[in-house]
Amino acid sequence: MDVKLVNPFIDAFTTVLPQMGFPTPQRTGMTVNNQNAVSQGVAVIVGFTKEIRGNVVYNMSEDTAKFIASTMMMGMPVENFDEMAQSAISEMSNMLTANAATNLTALGLEVDISTPSLTVGSDFQIKISNEQYLCVVMDVSGHQVEIDIAVQQ
Amino acid sequence: MEKVKVMVVDDSRISRMMVSSMLAKTNFEVCAMAENSAEAVALYAKTKPDVVTMDMNLPDADGIECTRRIHAIDPKAKIVMISAMKDAKLIMQGRMAGIGSFLQKPVSTNELIDTLMIMCNENVGAVAVYRESYVTTFAKVLQQSLMSLFGIQSEIEIAQNEDSVLKVDGVAAVIGIVGEPKGRVALYMDSDTMYNLSKAMLGMDPQDDLSADEAEAAIEEAGNIITGRAVSRVNDVFKDKEMRITPPGTVIGSDIILSNPELISFNVKAKTSYGDVHMNVGFARGV
Repeated sequence: MDVKLVNPFIDAFTTVLPQMGFPTPQRTGMTVNNQNAVSQGVAVIVGFTKEIRGNVVYNMSEDTAKFIASTMMMGMPVENFDEMAQSAISEMSNMLTANAATNLTALGLEVDISTPSLTVGSDFQIKISNEQYLCVVMDVSGHQVEIDIAVQQ
Repeated sequence: MEKVKVMVVDDSRISRMMVSSMLAKTNFEVCAMAENSAEAVALYAKTKPDVVTMDMNLPDADGIECTRRIHAIDPKAKIVMISAMKDAKLIMQGRMAGIGSFLQKPVSTNELIDTLMIMCNENVGAVAVYRESYVTTFAKVLQQSLMSLFGIQSEIEIAQNEDSVLKVDGVAAVIGIVGEPKGRVALYMDSDTMYNLSKAMLGMDPQDDLSADEAEAAIEEAGNIITGRAVSRVNDVFKDKEMRITPPGTVIGSDIILSNPELISFNVKAKTSYGDVHMNVGFARGV
């Protein structure tokens, strides 16, 4: 898969998060994987289609998800990863992917995105590609969010 | 949920019975049945139905004349014509009289419900629209596909998913829907059912060996095929809508929670001899 397709997703992450009150995220890793991704606790899958088709997964620990939800809700404490916190993470994934879609349009690739599917659990596997996919790790205030991107070609 | 009231106007008792039996298990309720135009006008004024099904041939006036008389007492009356004939001239005359939609006998249940749904869109909640116009089609396609892909019979149950949380032990293929409306489908089942189904899909015997990877891939492909078929069928009915699907993503493991509080979703369960097959169909809130 084409590495240049990953930039719109990283750019979306680094642009959108500061707008929600986070410090600018840093990219701390990027690998090409062909094994199934493993859930770190909370994983959101968003599909896209039109000129390119694929899936993106935002994969993080429950602690990180609670930290992000809390920051998004103006610092409101989040003790449990409850429905409200889940909605916040779904909404963030939706915003990130919609922003990535806009960035892709700038490359001449129009895409439509699906509603996010939020999954919670430990150590389950996530398969988004029969082939290789890209895995980018972003650091937000010491919290890691893994972004897995698979594009069908 | 509040029922949507329907008045059936038809001079044939059999036709009236057919329409009411099609609506029997739906959110529509037949509030009146009329066998001629005079009765139709009187019952309309009395029962104030949300929508009327109108036959063309009535003993005292035709369906178009009857429509004019109903419109004289309620200019906003919603009327769908169901008749044996459906030609351009009839449609033109009918439109001028205020008929909103035309169906030709024999009418299929799906066609009737979808048409009534569209006509009453503003009168019914999003839940009913999603259920009747989309989810029943998805359920039907699931049942047909279980037969065509795996050669198995199934019993289908549909229920609204009230708590928005699904528990998955085994495998779940998640397929996104883009366009109007947006949403996603999750096809999920336990491991035993996954192996049973994937072996049947690949024409293998139950005792044959199949790797987990291959079995998961089979379920993923089944989810892709079933969702694709269902979406194209819905697109065929609603000519103004175009939904498309995204590639499947699959989650595999135990104690996985699939949570989508922002979706209105429905659980479709297919009971089969190979185990239960679950399909959750969810759409973004707001039609």
